Amino acid sequence: MKRAFLRTCAAPALMAASLAAAPWAPALAAPFTCPERGGDLVFGQEANVNSLDQMTSSTISTRNIAMNIYESLVTRDENNNVIPELAEGVEEAPDQLTYTFKLRQGISFHNGKPMTSADVVASFDRYKKIGLQRSTLDNVKGWDAPDPNTFVIHMQRAQPTFLEALSSFSVPIVIIPAENKDDPPQQLKPVGTGPFRMAEFVPGSHARLVRYDSYKPNTQFEQRTGFGGYKVACLDSVTFRIVTEASARVAGLETGELQGVEDIPTKSVEAMRKNPSVTVLPLKNWWIQIALPNTAHAPTDNLMFRKAVQAALGMEDIMDAATDNNYSLNVGFQYPNQPTYTDAGKETYNINDPDLAQKYLKESGYKGEPIYILTNRDYAPMYNAALVMQQQMQAVGIKAELKVTDWPTSVQMSQKVNSNEWHFFHSGWGTQPALGALATMQFLASPGANYRPRDDKGDPEVEAAWSDMNTKPTQKERNEAFARMQKLVLEKALAYPFGSLTKVQAVRAKVQNFEPFRIPRFSNVWMKK
Amino acid sequence: MSETGALPLEAIQSEAEPEPKRVHPFWMTLRRLFRHRLFVTGLILFGIIAFMAAAAPWITDINPNRLSMRNKFLPPGGDFVLGTDNFGRSLWSRVVWGARLSVIIGVSVVALNAVFGTLIGALAGYFRRLDNVLMRINDALMAFPAILLAIGVTAMLGPSTANVIIALGIVYVPRTARIVRASVIVLREMEYVQAAVAAGAGHWRILRRHILPNAMAPMIVQLSFLFAYAVLSEATLSFLGLGAVPPTPTWGNIMAEGRDFMRDAPWIIAIPGVTLMITVLGLNMLGDGLRDVLDPRLRIQQ
Amino acid sequence: MLSVALRRIASAVPVLLLVSLITFGMMRLIPGDPAAAIAGLSATPQQVAQIRADLGLDEPFLVQLGRWYGGMLQGDLGRSILMGKGVAAVTMERLPVTLALSAYALVLTLVIGLLAGIVAALRQNTVIDQFAMMFAMIGISVPSFFLGLLMIIVFAVRLGWLPTGGYIPLTEDPWGWFVTSTMPAISLALLQAGLLARITRSTMLEVLRQDYIRTARAKGLPARQVVFKHALTNALIPITTVVGIIISLLLSGAVVTEALFSIPGIGGLLTQAVLNRDYPMVQGGLLLVTAFLVLVNIGIDMLYAFLDPRVRYE
Repeated sequence: MKRAFLRTCAAPALMAASLAAAPWAPALAAPFTCPERGGDLVFGQEANVNSLDQMTSSTISTRNIAMNIYESLVTRDENNNVIPELAEGVEEAPDQLTYTFKLRQGISFHNGKPMTSADVVASFDRYKKIGLQRSTLDNVKGWDAPDPNTFVIHMQRAQPTFLEALSSFSVPIVIIPAENKDDPPQQLKPVGTGPFRMAEFVPGSHARLVRYDSYKPNTQFEQRTGFGGYKVACLDSVTFRIVTEASARVAGLETGELQGVEDIPTKSVEAMRKNPSVTVLPLKNWWIQIALPNTAHAPTDNLMFRKAVQAALGMEDIMDAATDNNYSLNVGFQYPNQPTYTDAGKETYNINDPDLAQKYLKESGYKGEPIYILTNRDYAPMYNAALVMQQQMQAVGIKAELKVTDWPTSVQMSQKVNSNEWHFFHSGWGTQPALGALATMQFLASPGANYRPRDDKGDPEVEAAWSDMNTKPTQKERNEAFARMQKLVLEKALAYPFGSLTKVQAVRAKVQNFEPFRIPRFSNVWMKK
Repeated sequence: MSETGALPLEAIQSEAEPEPKRVHPFWMTLRRLFRHRLFVTGLILFGIIAFMAAAAPWITDINPNRLSMRNKFLPPGGDFVLGTDNFGRSLWSRVVWGARLSVIIGVSVVALNAVFGTLIGALAGYFRRLDNVLMRINDALMAFPAILLAIGVTAMLGPSTANVIIALGIVYVPRTARIVRASVIVLREMEYVQAAVAAGAGHWRILRRHILPNAMAPMIVQLSFLFAYAVLSEATLSFLGLGAVPPTPTWGNIMAEGRDFMRDAPWIIAIPGVTLMITVLGLNMLGDGLRDVLDPRLRIQQ
Repeated sequence: MLSVALRRIASAVPVLLLVSLITFGMMRLIPGDPAAAIAGLSATPQQVAQIRADLGLDEPFLVQLGRWYGGMLQGDLGRSILMGKGVAAVTMERLPVTLALSAYALVLTLVIGLLAGIVAALRQNTVIDQFAMMFAMIGISVPSFFLGLLMIIVFAVRLGWLPTGGYIPLTEDPWGWFVTSTMPAISLALLQAGLLARITRSTMLEVLRQDYIRTARAKGLPARQVVFKHALTNALIPITTVVGIIISLLLSGAVVTEALFSIPGIGGLLTQAVLNRDYPMVQGGLLLVTAFLVLVNIGIDMLYAFLDPRVRYE
């Protein structure tokens, strides 16, 4: 994060500098213009969407659609830096107790009403009341709007990571018209400020977005970046169609019934690559494939046993099965392209040494009791990873058994305090690692630490590192604290990150400038006639 | 999934009011069965599946759950007779062991129905006071769309082979009970039963000696169809991810795991699918044969 | 007639009450809760806990039950946790989709089933008969999800003739609806058509053997007139009952078919609701669907009495 920019609102200059390095943004002098306008794009989405209330939903399928409709004050760019979106800039007071946001001029909602600071106040009010990640605002004393273009947040205590939290796109604080502030949870009317507006939403079937003609692009940028930047709707409409069968998505893309799809099975990727009318777009680092031990329960409460399992794991086989051979080996909890990435603790990764595992196992005093691996069938990669992990554990003499439930059950079981029903829990961390180290490591901080310490009391050393990650005044110190925490977690075998999964998206060849990202972004995407 | 087991019977039964019928000597019935072409065809088809189920350990040499990533997506023919799936597991092994599971589940569901369906049906049909209560519960259970009830019960109990059997039991027992009850109500009013009552025979004795033996024929026919629906329903539940816990090789599980690859590796779903079809076909033919021979009032021709 | 109908409806009330109790109990006994389902994949434990608290899921069982019944007395079936909308509204949104699909499947069932059954009966013990009955036998033996998958592979993936899934409402684009609904309707209809063909054949055979048919034939009436005027009208009576059962089977079959073809109908809605632990949606939705089925059956019974003057309700 660039503190200078935050203080002085010198965003455009800095953004331009960082954009210059991006290969897809050659036209720096002039902002993006659509080479061609028009066209209706149909996108095959894998998961069903129940609600487009972006304030009360954390699911990816909701974000896929809703983030093309809504915008926030601040968001993240392509490289996960904080950038202004509806705000022109933000000024952080020297004592870090107030943040003053200047709003961009001429922004209007899809209902035609101009956006003012009153709407921002109302949005924050709704989020504080029912927003899913409202703990972001725990340390906030209040907010007010001294004039229609200014919004001020007052903090209780200085929190160096506040803007990082505020710009999170996990459950973002999207800006909605003031009159919608009392919409109940899951029922927010789909009116935002984004380049596309909602035309029709049929849960279970499709959502159709159309270009919002009065959209005013953010001229502080020249190109789309991350969730923000200079955005234009070139397409007339975008229809998200729910197509849960992977084969149906592939077939739909081949026949041209769909112009874009997500999550193509690897088995089909080869054929897709040979098809000249299809462009295959791998989205690297979609999630970190991971298993977590239950440290409240024997024998996974025993460090030597956990290390035995760690030594037994061969990540190539696990990731091959989990992702159908579309993965990168990856140490730890961040991806190499991220600023906070560190390989601290890499000695613990991919040891794949059965002899060492058996030695540790002997030291642990393991007596052949059954070890339950908790996984689910809703997410095939988790199930597949568990299957191979089981085989590798059995190979070193651990009586590993699978416990397969559906996702809600397995989440509930894994969150129970002092549970004795399972030993390893399989999951995939997607959004949080993409948001940075701070967002990711909260999975490993108590209360609720995913390695389930007894009575939910986290390991003191790990907790101390977590505290430093949150409170150290400089980014450098916070990054060091993260490296320390990652090393501790890996050395104490409190988590087994297997690697990062690649999710393959694809579009028809005539679809241009579609860059895979955390959501399918349709601004600045255009279709050749 | 369907509740079709009850269908042909009930529909026709309501039409053709039963008359007392002679009990066929065992051998005569058997001879007539073996002269029935459908029955024999069904017997052969189902016999093949039953043999696979019984002989599974001897006719497969690869553990159905053994992963072998090097051998994934091999088409049928070659080293693996029926090819391999996305984990390189032998489909021949998995389909054969799947047959075993299907047969076990079918037999168990049939047994549950034979016991509880008969019991509830007989009690409801014989004791008027129980009838109302039992049949109301029955009606309520039958009012659910069958598969949603099964989904709910398996979700409640957790996915496992035993729980699938229980779920299918809860779905089908009311249907069997209703058929038994219909026969018992008719038989109860028969002169010979009334005579036994007049002679002071106890309820239990009347039910056991005079009523149930004569209600057997429609029961047996119903149970043979039920076997088919149980196998079909189990596959459907597994396919929806609610059956036996993977990686247990059931046909539904194999097909569910293969559906992502049906475009490029269609054999993964085609092989268990065809096997499932053969099984159900065989059982339905068996059922038709049994119905024609055992329950002549349902027999329209031949 | 009306009073009979009313009496039948009244007697359905305790059944529906039991249905509601069973559903409620079942849902509460399912492990896992909607919080985890709403939160989705990447939610933090704090987010899940937040949702759980927001939903008031910690209330005692009886309080929740009481609240539900209380709401229903005021005509409020509750709100879907996942969608935030009223249960009745969501059900009414989705039910027409399933009904349209079921109606299409029912038409296919009737055309194929009746035709095959009648022809088989008239040509008893010929090749045509055997062929028709073999078809019916296969029809009742193919799992509908397997048939659906096969059709997707062949007609959508390999040949590209039909779309792989998706749904266009009938009211919006009738041709689009027809195209998207054809494969699902066939996979739904084949089983029922097989059943209907078998029953039609046996009923027809029985009717054809009746004295009055023989008399009519003996009198020299044309065969076609005998078949359609006398035989078929009489055979229709038991067939009507079967159609009633088929309607409920179609709704049940829709659960799988809708999941397979991504059709936003009631079957898929309720399955998802069970899997996501959307308690109010399952409870209210199932109650509405079963009530609908009960009404259909009462309607069929009335029709039955209308067709067959011999049937009289006391």
